[in-house]
Amino acid sequence: MTQRSRNEEIKEASRFLRGTIAEGLRDQVTGAIAEDDTQLTKFHGIYLQDDRDLRGERAKKKLEKAFSFMARVRIPAGVLTPAQWIALHDIAAERGNATLRLTTRQTVQFHGIIKSNLRPAIQSLHTALLDTIAACGDVNRNVIASVVPQLPVVHAEVTAMARAISDHLLPHSRAWHEIWIDGALAAGGDDEEEPILGRTYLPRKFKIAIAVPPQNDTDVFAHDIGLIAIVQRDHIIGYNVVVGGGMGMTHGEPDTFPRTGDVIGFCRPEQVVAVCERIVIIQRDWGDRADRKHARLKYTLEREGLDRFTAELRQRLGYALAPARPYVFDRTGDPHGWIEGADGRAHYFLFVENGRVHGALLEALREITAAHDGLFVLTPNQNLVIANVTPEQRAEIGAVLDRVGLRDTSALRRNAMACVALPTCGLALAESERYLPDLISALDEELARHDLTGAEIMLRMTGCPNGCARPYLAEIGLVGTGPGRYNLYLGAAFDGSRLSKLYRKDLDHAGIVAALRPLLAAYTRDRTLNERFGDFVIRAGVVSRTSSGNRFHADVPLAVAD
Amino acid sequence: MPTPLATTPLPDDQVALVKRLLASATPEQRQWLSGYIAGFQAANDIGVASAAAAPPAPKPRLTILYASESGNAETLAGAVRKEATRLGFAARVLDVADTTPAEIAQVGNLLVIASTWGEGDPPQRAEAFHAALIADDAPRLNGLRYAVLALGDRAYARFCETGRQFDSRFQALGATRIADLVECDLDYKQPAAAWTAVTLRTLAEMPTEPGAAVIRVDFSRAAPVETADDAPTPVEVEVTTHINLNSGRSDIETYHLELSFAGTGLTYRPGDAIGFLPRNDPALVSEVLRLIGHDSDAILQERLSTELDITTLTRGQVRDYADMTGDARLRDVTVDETKLGAFLQDRQLVDLLEAAPKPLRAEQISKLLRPLPPRYYSIASSQAAVGEEAHLLIAKIAWDSHGRARHGVASTDATVRRGIGRRMPITVKPNPHFRLPENGDTSIIMIGPGTGVAPFRAFLQERETTGALGRTWLFFGARRFTHDFLYQLEWQDWLKSGVLSRIDLAFSRDQREKIYVQHRMWEARRELYAWLRDGASVYVCGDAKAMAKDVHAMLLAIVADQSSHDSDAAISEVRELQRAGRYCRDIY
Ligand code: SRM
Ligand SMILES: Cc1cc2nc3c(=O)[nH]c(=O)nc-3n(C[C@H](O)[C@H](O)[C@H](O)COP(=O)(O)OP(=O)(O)OC[C@H]3O[C@@H](n4cnc5c(N)ncnc54)[C@H](O)[C@@H]3O)c2cc1C
Ligand SMILES: Cc1cc2nc3c(=O)[nH]c(=O)nc-3n(C[C@H](O)[C@H](O)[C@H](O)COP(=O)(O)O)c2cc1C
Ligand code: SF4
Repeated sequence: MTQRSRNEEIKEASRFLRGTIAEGLRDQVTGAIAEDDTQLTKFHGIYLQDDRDLRGERAKKKLEKAFSFMARVRIPAGVLTPAQWIALHDIAAERGNATLRLTTRQTVQFHGIIKSNLRPAIQSLHTALLDTIAACGDVNRNVIASVVPQLPVVHAEVTAMARAISDHLLPHSRAWHEIWIDGALAAGGDDEEEPILGRTYLPRKFKIAIAVPPQNDTDVFAHDIGLIAIVQRDHIIGYNVVVGGGMGMTHGEPDTFPRTGDVIGFCRPEQVVAVCERIVIIQRDWGDRADRKHARLKYTLEREGLDRFTAELRQRLGYALAPARPYVFDRTGDPHGWIEGADGRAHYFLFVENGRVHGALLEALREITAAHDGLFVLTPNQNLVIANVTPEQRAEIGAVLDRVGLRDTSALRRNAMACVALPTCGLALAESERYLPDLISALDEELARHDLTGAEIMLRMTGCPNGCARPYLAEIGLVGTGPGRYNLYLGAAFDGSRLSKLYRKDLDHAGIVAALRPLLAAYTRDRTLNERFGDFVIRAGVVSRTSSGNRFHADVPLAVAD
Repeated sequence: MPTPLATTPLPDDQVALVKRLLASATPEQRQWLSGYIAGFQAANDIGVASAAAAPPAPKPRLTILYASESGNAETLAGAVRKEATRLGFAARVLDVADTTPAEIAQVGNLLVIASTWGEGDPPQRAEAFHAALIADDAPRLNGLRYAVLALGDRAYARFCETGRQFDSRFQALGATRIADLVECDLDYKQPAAAWTAVTLRTLAEMPTEPGAAVIRVDFSRAAPVETADDAPTPVEVEVTTHINLNSGRSDIETYHLELSFAGTGLTYRPGDAIGFLPRNDPALVSEVLRLIGHDSDAILQERLSTELDITTLTRGQVRDYADMTGDARLRDVTVDETKLGAFLQDRQLVDLLEAAPKPLRAEQISKLLRPLPPRYYSIASSQAAVGEEAHLLIAKIAWDSHGRARHGVASTDATVRRGIGRRMPITVKPNPHFRLPENGDTSIIMIGPGTGVAPFRAFLQERETTGALGRTWLFFGARRFTHDFLYQLEWQDWLKSGVLSRIDLAFSRDQREKIYVQHRMWEARRELYAWLRDGASVYVCGDAKAMAKDVHAMLLAIVADQSSHDSDAAISEVRELQRAGRYCRDIY
């Protein structure tokens, strides 16, 4: 058996995720914490970062890197009360960089929290009945679920399910409370147990998503486990189980690739938690602990084969999953604007560009909490739903939204997503969140030129191949390769069921626009009725279809491949 | 003593007298005595036997008392003593820090030279004396003859305050004023010399203590009090490093400068400062030239650039200019002090000239403008560590008032107009009262937020290179941790190597509630007091207006709290620290 990865050593020695984090927090003279501890704080939902914009000048100014922390909240199904939203607002304003970053996993990230503000920030979260436990790290991450408040019962059921799964798979270690809340010196450890995750936790991050057809807003095939709700008479009678999805890959390493999950059967609601637990346990025991680049469940499946995996699952469950039920997805992404609910309540699907809530929008939403006693629901596409609005409140809330002019955005922009990337993300190779808005403006002009304004085309961008905005499931995917350079992927399915294919490498802004211009022209000219752009480029032979993850790098014209 | 007395014609009792007299006499008294007797012989040719010698008249005693912070008054006192001794006084120099009003009551003749600091405060080492003097139970000073020379700066609202207080208080306590108070602005040399001449003459001609000799000197030939020694000639040094230490995101700029002393022979010790002779902002110079009607006067332009203060505005200047221009509005402003005060608020010379522009004649300009004073900067390096270099830490000062962008003269000159390769005219300003403890084992507590941290970098460099073992504790503060943590990497290294034992940080704008160094002191009061009890010395450097006052108050609070004494006891405990040189401040 090959050498375990460094992270495995750190987890092993951490006394259940304690390490020397508490000591590190007391050291005033540096904004950082010990190297090994930075791996452990992830399990507490906290990342050490530094402002990459400032790196150049720091050393000569006799300053260390501009360190600060990113904290990611655990919000199963993204459901928040107005009171909790206010708490998030205040923490961002007082302890962070005055922005709230809605993520692609239906939660909120704070950026720019300096060390001296970190514990106070986490404590305020705790008082608001929120936490950051397991929001990152080699554990099950925030469980995401379709946002369908217009179906009150179903929405309540998926939300409850997401919470049940999330709570069940949480680490049992008390470390988070000791370090961030009680401040009691992280002593314990030895008496503790991790019955599900084990002393060294999982080999890698683990993700679970629930989708309610026909809405595939959670990109249900992109996660280690996907659950497709089967609804009958306004109730969820059970879920199809999807396994082995994932996005992350590394440029130039063909044995790393995004993968759409496989549907392996159906189970009843009361079986879901157990099914998820057993899958997690199999991955815990079978996952690759030597090479983190092959440690996700998707690679375990590729290595062991789907049959051997399902057999193992049947064995560990003591029963076989029922045959999968039929389902139909019609789209990914979020709806937009007001949607009437069956119960007379309305829900406003608010587009938040790249999920970054700040300035006027931040204040407007704070103002809305005053008029609003419904819910704030985060979507898996960096957007926000102001849910359960009564007819009386609707006018008031609408007025606030109009005032800050949040309503007129192009279809392309509304559907688009960009990951965070620079300046905070340590892995970014190129800009993403800060660049996408300009690219969209340029492309909107192209669309107008080919009277495609209003056409719903999925475009997603990431600053590196890790795929945080799930770009390989977008009809137009842009993935950073270096400063100002992006690979262009095309041909993913609008409903999130098919991955894209590499079309052009290392394009700069002009290159991207130039590459898409003729394709958009052809699309207007030659598309069949209701034909999606992602399907069109395949039919037109622009790129070949990606049938499965392990074929992602295949069938790429040599000219492009290298 | 030679034996001839054994064969003396004098009877034993007289022999005893002479013996006693000679024994008690100083060498010069004996010399004078021999001369006296000889002269006496010659004058009235009578027998030795009839000699009933009048005792020699001792020289009049004179005490020169000074209250000084940065040494000007101290240096002057020395110069006055020289002159007084030359004239035949038995003169001595005394630091107010080393005496009390009660002692002073006994000295007879007293000349006082006192500067004013802070916002009209006495120099730190004069605090105890000053307090005792204004106290209700202050001793009577009848029989004391005195005169006061006040050093100050008209730029400050309470000009020469300390000198004024001394002068009036001495009189109120019954002492006799032998000359009116003389108030000096920054260019104090001439007025000081004149004051010295006048006061010494008056004292000399007065009947002094009974029996004391009366000095007769031709004052027309009196040598001017020499003041050369307190004004070293400036040396041009090259700027070799010039970095803004604050991050690009900070709203302040603090520059680290490295000056090359190579070939200058200049030396300094940790704690010393340099005096920088700045050039005024060229744009402002041209504007002033225009307003006074001398646009194309190259010579005047150079004087305005390097010799004259064209930013500070004083009450006197407003009055003078009102007269020169006869401008009604200015006249009206000068009629009452409150109006004048209001006008001065945040205004500078250029605002005055602009209010009523008028061509000025050369002598009017000279009357109106004060000399451009040097600015001082604590040296942030130790020569033991950096050799022929001196490092400075300079905060760039800029603000807006009355619709104008204003720039600190020296800080802007040094941080904006003197990049790498440029030269700066400087002098080294010794700071004898702000020194590391002689003993390297003594613990030191350094409190220096903002640019106040400069000398402490010098202290740690010194302790590192000399391998001193004493514990070191730094309190530093600034606005924001990420953007304003001056010399962060150096403190980190010194903590690792143990040269710095402990650092406590206060960043005021990283959270809603303001946190300053004094708050960190309170949090650490137990350890801080323990250090003091173990003989640690405390150093405070930086802002005088707020920081130094708050830190001082906190020190008193901590001493009271930890020693569980009342505040009076705490005050005297801290005074004692100050007197023992274990509580030193370099504040501005
Ligand atoms: C905020 C977010 C993107 C966004 O714009 O919304 C994000 C941001 C980051 N992701 Fe991600 N990921 C985010 C969703 C995703 C997704 C999408 C999803 O989960 O549906 C993926 C692809 C799905 C998957 O996991 O395969 C994703 C795949 C990664 C990877 C690659 C994982 C892999 O198996 O290859 C990394 C790097 C790693 O884990 O080594 C990564 C790492 C990161 C880090 C923490 C960078 C790091 O490890 O230092 C990024 C923090 C940047 C910053 O400054 O905030 N992130 N990341 C999303 C937060 C999710 C959440 O709230 O939990
Ligand atoms: C012993 C000693 C050591 C010192 N050490 C240092 C040091 O190490 N580093 C350092 O940076 N400084 C130090 N100083 C202060 C320094 O000498 C200068 O006073 C400072 O640089 C300002 O000088 P300037 O010529 O730039 O400003 P000036 O032209 O003299 O202007 C300063 C004056 O402008 C006015 N002013 C300033 N800000 C405002 C405002 N916001 N609004 C209205 N009016 C304002 C005030 O009247 C202030 O006195 C020290 C001073 C002393 C006496
Ligand atoms: C920080 C600081 C504060 C001062 N405050 C006053 C003041 O309030 N009133 C005044 O007349 N002079 C003030 N002065 C000017 C000094 O009294 C003047 O420089 C004097 O020559 C210093 O003499 P010394 O070196 O003996 O202390 C101040 C000088 C400095 C540097
Ligand atoms: S995709 Fe890459 S650059 Fe973008 S946030 Fe994720 S890790 Fe960072």
